[in-house]
Amino acid sequence: MIKQLLARFTRRGAAAPIVPEHSVAGRTLLLLITIMSFLSAVTLGGVVLVQKSAIAWSADVGREMTIQIRPVEGEVMDSNLRTAVTLAQTTPGVAGARALTVEESQALLEPWLGAGLDLSAIEIPRLIVVQLADPVDADIEQLQRNLQAIKGASLDTHAAWRQQLNTMAGTVVVSGLLVLGLIGVATVLAIIFATRGAMASNREIVDVLHFIGASNKFIAGEFQGRFLSIGLQGGFLGALLCALFFALISMAAGSVLPSEATTQVGFIFGAFVLGIDGTIGVALVVPAIAALTAITSRLTVRRYLSEAS
Amino acid sequence: MIEFSDVGLRYGNGPEILRDLTFSIEPGSFHFLTGPSGSGKTSLLRLLLLALKPSRGKVTMLNEDVGKLDRDSLLQMRRHIGIVFQEFRLLDHLTTFENVALPLRVLGQPESEYRPNVTELLEWVGLGERMHALPTVLSGGEKQRAAIARAVIARPKILLADEPTGNVDPDLSSRLVHLFAELNRTLGMTIILATHELPLLERFSYPRMVLNKGALTIHD
Repeated sequence: MIKQLLARFTRRGAAAPIVPEHSVAGRTLLLLITIMSFLSAVTLGGVVLVQKSAIAWSADVGREMTIQIRPVEGEVMDSNLRTAVTLAQTTPGVAGARALTVEESQALLEPWLGAGLDLSAIEIPRLIVVQLADPVDADIEQLQRNLQAIKGASLDTHAAWRQQLNTMAGTVVVSGLLVLGLIGVATVLAIIFATRGAMASNREIVDVLHFIGASNKFIAGEFQGRFLSIGLQGGFLGALLCALFFALISMAAGSVLPSEATTQVGFIFGAFVLGIDGTIGVALVVPAIAALTAITSRLTVRRYLSEAS
Repeated sequence: MIEFSDVGLRYGNGPEILRDLTFSIEPGSFHFLTGPSGSGKTSLLRLLLLALKPSRGKVTMLNEDVGKLDRDSLLQMRRHIGIVFQEFRLLDHLTTFENVALPLRVLGQPESEYRPNVTELLEWVGLGERMHALPTVLSGGEKQRAAIARAVIARPKILLADEPTGNVDPDLSSRLVHLFAELNRTLGMTIILATHELPLLERFSYPRMVLNKGALTIHD
């Protein structure tokens, strides 16, 4: 039904198409464009997913700082903790500060030291989580200066993490866009070869059209209509497969992976949901591929006809 | 209508296939073009169809020096010339009606406009009952009549036919030439029909353009 609608959309009036709809070259090109569209849409979706996750991570990490108080001989940990919390809470731009309890600190060490270990006998560094109201306006330098009064205290703004995260996300995004560009070039080359093949196999039609007085523009238009139809169909199928792919990945992440792993994967990549911007990006692959197919095939057909005549 | 003056044709650096052709064809005339195989009949027809440029000499068609025409003007000129091939050259995926209507589609006419004309012409050539059939199920004679209808549907001033009776039996050959004669008489088309069938040449008393080893003589 969709195929018929698309074919009707690209056909001139109600007359039968001059270029046959079911030529072998047409089917091969449709398969090729579907694959290329799928790869483009998946790459684009992946790029959007990584970029969205990176922005979310960066924003989350940027709104939080950690004060670490190391045990120092002669210093009282609880007193230092209270002082540091007060200093943090009185710093402009800070929304709140809370010292992690001993239990929470032990829970953080569990993955390395194992569960059920009694850490009350040894002093471990304690952490204070500082929430920022506005990362831009927060006076971090003042807090850093004030904390120098507490022995063993240090402030971690996670700047290095954020820098690393942004670099990694940027690298993935640029790589994805590069891959997208290469897929585009490969698609153009494939369309050129497929178009020339289709023209060669339809040489008789081209000759007859020339003999009855058709201009190169008319002939190119007939072939372009056919290729635009193939491009639209291929782009649509590729985008549809991509949507199914992301839906399957999302379902697989929820059902195949254990719940802890799902949480971790969800934390890193979100819920594998493209969102509105990702969906728009994937949907834009359809007209982009169709336009690419139409323009490439038109130029190839015009060149072929110039050479032929 | 058509004037050739000292026209020669060679392919690449090869020998001249046609040489020193000088003749004129009057509007509304009917000529047979004949000669042995390899004498250059098809090459001359391709020159007349403007599908080839002469290597030398001057070709005038419809009062225009063909050598001075640009690409668009050549295209316009070609639309005044119809062509019928021995091997029909119908498009197998289109019906008889669609094949015959093709030149009008190329001219940009909508189907509602050309449908009555195409239907009338198909009735006239005896294919009224076969207009929705694909060429693959038509007989040789039906295919050739469809090809003739396609060549004349846009009312060209000149009609060229390259061995149009080559793939049909003698009786049908004669009927096809009668059809060309009728087109010449009723529509006033200038017709050049290439054939090497002697019985046809003997039955119809039209002037003959005889090609032999690239040289042309006209016998009225």
